[in-house]
Amino acid sequence: MASIDTPVRPGRRSFTGRRLRPADALLQGVAAIAATSAAVLVGLIAYKLVRDAWPAISRYGIAFVAHDIWDPVANHYGAASFLFGTVLTSVFALAIAGPLAIAIALYLTELAPRALRGPVTALVETLAAIPSVVIGLWGILVLGPFLAHHVEPWLHSALGFIPLFGSPSTGPQSIFTAIVVLTIMILPIVASICRELFLSVPRELKEGALALGTTRWEMIRAVVFPYARGGIAAALILGFGRAIGEAIAVTQVVGGGTIIQANLFSGGDTLASKIAASYQGADSNIQVAALIYLGLILLVFSLVVNLLAQWVVRQFGRGQGAVSRASARVGATA
Amino acid sequence: MKKSLSFAAVLALVAAVAAGMSAAAGARSSDTTITGAGSTFVSPLVQTWQQPVGGALGVTVNYNPIGSGGGIAAITNRTVDFGASDAPLSPDQFSACKGCLQIPWALAATAVLYNVSSVKNLLHMDGPTLAKIFSGEITKWNDPAIVKLNKGVSLPDTTITTVHRSDGSGTTWNFTDYLSSVSPAWKSKYGVGTSVNWPAGTGGRGSAGVSAVVSQTNGSIGYADVAFALKNHLKYFAMKNSSGKFTTPGLRGILAAASSDQKPDANNALSIVNPPKKFANAYPISTFTYVIVPETSAKAPELKKFLFWAVTKGQTFGPKLLFQPIPKPVLVVAEKTIKKIHT
Repeated sequence: MASIDTPVRPGRRSFTGRRLRPADALLQGVAAIAATSAAVLVGLIAYKLVRDAWPAISRYGIAFVAHDIWDPVANHYGAASFLFGTVLTSVFALAIAGPLAIAIALYLTELAPRALRGPVTALVETLAAIPSVVIGLWGILVLGPFLAHHVEPWLHSALGFIPLFGSPSTGPQSIFTAIVVLTIMILPIVASICRELFLSVPRELKEGALALGTTRWEMIRAVVFPYARGGIAAALILGFGRAIGEAIAVTQVVGGGTIIQANLFSGGDTLASKIAASYQGADSNIQVAALIYLGLILLVFSLVVNLLAQWVVRQFGRGQGAVSRASARVGATA
Repeated sequence: MKKSLSFAAVLALVAAVAAGMSAAAGARSSDTTITGAGSTFVSPLVQTWQQPVGGALGVTVNYNPIGSGGGIAAITNRTVDFGASDAPLSPDQFSACKGCLQIPWALAATAVLYNVSSVKNLLHMDGPTLAKIFSGEITKWNDPAIVKLNKGVSLPDTTITTVHRSDGSGTTWNFTDYLSSVSPAWKSKYGVGTSVNWPAGTGGRGSAGVSAVVSQTNGSIGYADVAFALKNHLKYFAMKNSSGKFTTPGLRGILAAASSDQKPDANNALSIVNPPKKFANAYPISTFTYVIVPETSAKAPELKKFLFWAVTKGQTFGPKLLFQPIPKPVLVVAEKTIKKIHT
């Protein structure tokens, strides 16, 4: 088939340029429809959320985000503790995963023996393919008990003077377990984007730096990081977006509870985990509306993060390689 | 060539799978399928019904255990043919459901689980103490209140971690209904619901989540339907009832509790939690669980056939899963209600 088609095509094109115009128009039309429908979809989702959350919005107003009560019996609802839990878990997860992911990417592009790079890259990416419900289950049965019995007591005795490291949890569930689970989930995403970024740094630049007598670390600091700066920021924000929105695994390990406290080893909830845990069983209209209000807050939160991502990339990413721009776009769709 | 060959192979495979699927669908479409959703509590029983119902009545029953709250929502929106809930519908829910019937169709108990190392099964517990534990007022296993109930047992100085359902659940409704009936303080502060504002403890998703957390946490106390507790070899309390007797969530205890209320109210709701002391063997955290159906249904004949079977023959599948067959007077009312369903 292909062998018949190939010689004809260039003939057509050389024959006249006009012939392809209908196809161009078609392409443009399809692409435009695809692009608009994505935008319309976001608009419709926002509209639907606002409409379904309206009973809660009109009842609680913006004060909803400042109240930390969630009482389905008395029908009093507020989002403060979930907002707090979301910020706490995703900021800490990013703080742990970010440096680790950059280190992994550097190792895979600059430091690892060539024979190791392929297999390790594949393994890191496999981590991203594990379903979150499986990670959550592993979190309750394996990771959680280990953290509670070994890591948390150790952190508490070493750093107990900081309120974050209060008395260790008795069971497998805590904010801390959720942070570690989220770290594991966002690590492969950030690492593989950073790896692509570092690979896109032109070889001449790196070799030039090395030829000037820099050490490998100096070369990385002087060439690789500045070149990939915007992209790294976008990758981190992409990971952050993933951490904010993760529901199932967090629901399984976070423990629940509406008490806002600094201790990472106590239970808590995030916006996404509360929605995942309670939506199906919600038995009053106002509770459903309050849960959808949580969803709306989550949407706004993600939007703000995305806008921030675009701004950051524009600030740091001027005049850089295509990959960093591409990943900026990836970041923007998180 | 190679490529087109493998392409052809893929095509053939797709065609074969599609043919297989349509054949399966064809075989099924000769039966009628009725779909239900709701209570996780009753789902082990409904699951054992599916095969015999298919054989005896030619009706395929699909059941999705999404929780009682979800079941009520699903039948209210008529996205299923029947809903199932452990909590009877509230008056508001009844009016929202527009012409729904509520039928008691199963009877079981909630077990109070615990996990504390080197302590035997069936420790003693009473309602007021349990309410204080779940309020976070009693925090140690060797608290005088627990020691007093278990003379001769040496209890450790372990911290108690309470474990509750993080999702909306009929089991939670049954459990908090009990706590409210034995503790006025619980009733006024936290109340009864499929989910409540827990003052302490940690949440597990579903009965499986609760049991996973309980089994991984030394010093924990949680709750789940008794079939689940047995299947997973978890320890549970013998609960003190109104007559002062310590009873286990077995068939005898459930039956004794069920005999305390055999007169369903206008909406067929029954309350058998914490029965008075003349029911000396009653297990105090027992509950009827309900199926909710619309009075007018396009699938009325099949629905009626299935429900009649469920409240009669279906009950004989119960005892193995620690579901006590529903008592005669309740059965009479159930059958009368089923007859009201029409197209």
